[in-house]
Amino acid sequence: MPEIKVTPLGAGQDVGRSCILVSVAGKNVMLDCGMHMGYNDDRRFPDFSYITQNGRLTDFLDCVIISHFHLDHCGALPYFSEMVGYDGPIYMTHPTKAICPILLEDYRKITVDKKGETNFFTSQMIKDCMKKVVAVHLHQTVQVDEELEIKAYYAGHVLGAAMFQIKVGCESVVYTGDYNMTPDRHLGAAWIDKCRPDLLISESTYATTIRDSKRCRERDFLKKVHETVERGGKVLIPVFALGRAQELCILLETFWERMNLKAPIYFSTGLTEKANHYYKLFITWTNQKIRKTFVQRNMFEFKHIKAFDRAFADNPGPMVVFATPGMLHAGQSLQIFRKWAGNEKNMVIMPGYCVQGTVGHKILSGQRKLEMEGRQILEVKMQVEYMSFSAHADAKGIMQLIRQAEPRSVLLVHGEAKKMEFLKQKIEQEFHVNCYMPANGETTTILTNPCIPVDISLGLLKRETAIGPLPDAKKPKLMHGTLLMKDNSFRLVSPEQALKELGLAEHQLRFTCRVHIQDPRKEHETVLRVYNHLKGILKDYSVQHLPDGSITVESILIQATAHSEDQGTKVLLVSWTYQDEELGSYLTSLLKKGLPQST
Amino acid sequence: YRDLHTFELQAPTRLIEWARGSRVCVAGYGQSDGNEILQLIPPPTLLTKETQGLCPERDFKVECGGFSEHPVYSLKYVPDTSLLVTSGPPDSSLQVWQVSAEDSDVIKSVSPIATENGTGQSWAKIATISARAPWVLHGSRLDRVQITEVESRKNVYTAASGGSEELSGLAFLDCNTLLLCCATGRLCLADVRQPQSLVEAVSVPSAPCSEQWCMGTRLGAQGLEPSSQPVARLSSRGLLTLTDLRKTSEFLALAKARVPSPGSGAEFLCVSWAPALEGCLAISGFDGTVHVYDTQSWDNSGREAEPIFVHKGHAFGGAGGSGDPPLVTVHTWHLQKPRTLLSAASDGSLHVWDWVQPCGKC
Repeated sequence: MPEIKVTPLGAGQDVGRSCILVSVAGKNVMLDCGMHMGYNDDRRFPDFSYITQNGRLTDFLDCVIISHFHLDHCGALPYFSEMVGYDGPIYMTHPTKAICPILLEDYRKITVDKKGETNFFTSQMIKDCMKKVVAVHLHQTVQVDEELEIKAYYAGHVLGAAMFQIKVGCESVVYTGDYNMTPDRHLGAAWIDKCRPDLLISESTYATTIRDSKRCRERDFLKKVHETVERGGKVLIPVFALGRAQELCILLETFWERMNLKAPIYFSTGLTEKANHYYKLFITWTNQKIRKTFVQRNMFEFKHIKAFDRAFADNPGPMVVFATPGMLHAGQSLQIFRKWAGNEKNMVIMPGYCVQGTVGHKILSGQRKLEMEGRQILEVKMQVEYMSFSAHADAKGIMQLIRQAEPRSVLLVHGEAKKMEFLKQKIEQEFHVNCYMPANGETTTILTNPCIPVDISLGLLKRETAIGPLPDAKKPKLMHGTLLMKDNSFRLVSPEQALKELGLAEHQLRFTCRVHIQDPRKEHETVLRVYNHLKGILKDYSVQHLPDGSITVESILIQATAHSEDQGTKVLLVSWTYQDEELGSYLTSLLKKGLPQST
Repeated sequence: YRDLHTFELQAPTRLIEWARGSRVCVAGYGQSDGNEILQLIPPPTLLTKETQGLCPERDFKVECGGFSEHPVYSLKYVPDTSLLVTSGPPDSSLQVWQVSAEDSDVIKSVSPIATENGTGQSWAKIATISARAPWVLHGSRLDRVQITEVESRKNVYTAASGGSEELSGLAFLDCNTLLLCCATGRLCLADVRQPQSLVEAVSVPSAPCSEQWCMGTRLGAQGLEPSSQPVARLSSRGLLTLTDLRKTSEFLALAKARVPSPGSGAEFLCVSWAPALEGCLAISGFDGTVHVYDTQSWDNSGREAEPIFVHKGHAFGGAGGSGDPPLVTVHTWHLQKPRTLLSAASDGSLHVWDWVQPCGKC
């Protein structure tokens, strides 16, 4: 039976290091290659030994697909391609290709420079890895090879995030990566067409969450910023170059305008240029509203938000500053943090996850005395807040996506087994499909029922439609023909044509059976007796007595001869072709019963 | 407001019940089958005494869920057990469920408690207690009130028939005393030890047009003698009566709430006492608002009372103009935080709000 095999190497039943191996019709694809942010040792990488013990990964895998630039989906990619070894194609969307190397390099810097690790990929490895990347557009069908094709769909969540459809022949799998079904200020909602894949692989991290409304989060964020600024304090918001930063900028700009606030908002240098640059490049990736306003005026050139200069950090009075990098681990945001940390009127708002070891992570865990370079102790008196705006699909969103795509089966990753039973039942009940939740290293096999297209010869079609009732689209019609499988094509033809094409001669099969009858009379008298007997019984058949002394029943031939040793016994030779098998057997058993006495 | 959080449930609920460990339970009541019962863990912001503005965990988490074939109109946890009981149309039978959150996140249906189903009977109202044994008090009409032992399914008490009116609510005042409220407004007390007698409390003022009544009892408060707490009754026209159960011959107080008329029916009428604030009660079910009143200044005159706070959030939440404005289906008070309430509406919204006392009062 044809089947699809799925093995999560990471994110099976836990969150982090997404990496899923899929086998469809002989093609092997690796989906995502993430880093687990909670571990410091090799556990942070997916276990690639599941794939193949000895062979080369390049030979085994047909391609690798990366869904988006978050480190838990692409963080292990350079390790995988350069240190473990893979030279095949790596597919991702254009924005992901542009942003990935920046985040990977950032991450490398923290891990190696700050934490002093040695077994880690180098900057050169990141560059070499990115050389293997093939960028794809949304809804563009990409032929990986003759049989395997992939297509990216919009996933929302972050800039460039995509869901991928993997298709081999008529079997297909859709992998969602991280997605979001509700649009936000700068990204649209995920969308897929009714592609009816055999399997949909979906994340379920937030399936058990009932989210607080966006409005409430935003309102609370603005309240905090406003309160701080009103009392003369400074607000630091560390961000990555892209992503949530734009969302928050738009939010603040609108709020400042509405409330007529005067405190300055700054965007650190390099951030504006990079952000604008990328957004211009990838404008089709943001949502409809932004695209419209971008045409009128550049959405990322704000009225109230100005470029930052280092010296401004020392200015008195309230202000809000967006600065990179996002985890306060180096650079400008850390510098500003050190200047402002000692004043309790100030506030720092962390808008996302921080990796262990960074200042961001430390202060979010509650640490208030930090050791800086040169053994200096920094006392943190400023307020520390955390605000997560990251968007994942909740249970309602997952159901929506399943409704859109109409898969035949569903597989859930990213959640804890005990907490996914309810969702599994929910999906099974509503859509009547199977729902799987494998653990890491566990292979799930899904049986598929592919349709095999077969060409039928015109002659055969005409012949079959001529006999019997008219063809009805709703009723299956039984046809007889010969299936020819040559190269990779299947054809249904008539037996005669098949013989001709294959250069085979038709064989005729003839059966002959001997029946002994007790009859002392002469042969021709026996024949007459047999003839009358059969004529009487087989009224619907054509029974003939031929001049040469033989009897025919339809096309079956019966002849009588005397037994060589015994004159009292006559031997009837009954002979028929394969096509008349049924009648022939019947006649034989009839004659074996003997002739009636009377004739 | 001091605080306001809005959430959206996948399906609207008409019940919010508190469970052990600060869990909250909601359930779907739609017509199609596949209604879900969800036991939720509230976000830490709700559980702590201090209100925090920004907090990493701001969401409700579904701890476990179950699937009900019928709409769930009422749900009560059976104290000291891992069971809960639900009721709803089409008849007055009950369904018992098992919650075992540590093992699996599915609430399993155990078995139904069948009842005699006469014609035209609506769904049963329920109340639970675990004094002598886990009991569920249930009935859809005044003459069909009984107590069933949950585990053995044995009937341990049947109330004397005092009429065949439809019930709008029932409650255990203590392990022996029952309070029954009819949709007509009649309030009856019964003693489990004396199945033949039904004591009737003072009726409600008769009205020119038919109105429906529901009741609210203040049982959440610790260490208070249950019969010393007045019982509130709310009518679909907005009339509120307070009755002291020790002096059932007269009203303690009578007031009129300012509600839209004609009302939208009595389907979701709800009145409840604040467990941690003396004399404070909340009403909902008329429109998309929840009113909070201070009853300490009320008298017998039936004058219109001013609410000390009105929550309007549900009226604004909606999908913007499509269809009817949302109707608040149920509300409940937080058991510890004095001014925090939870309310749900017919559009699936779930709000958690903390109001600020207008100055001048306690």
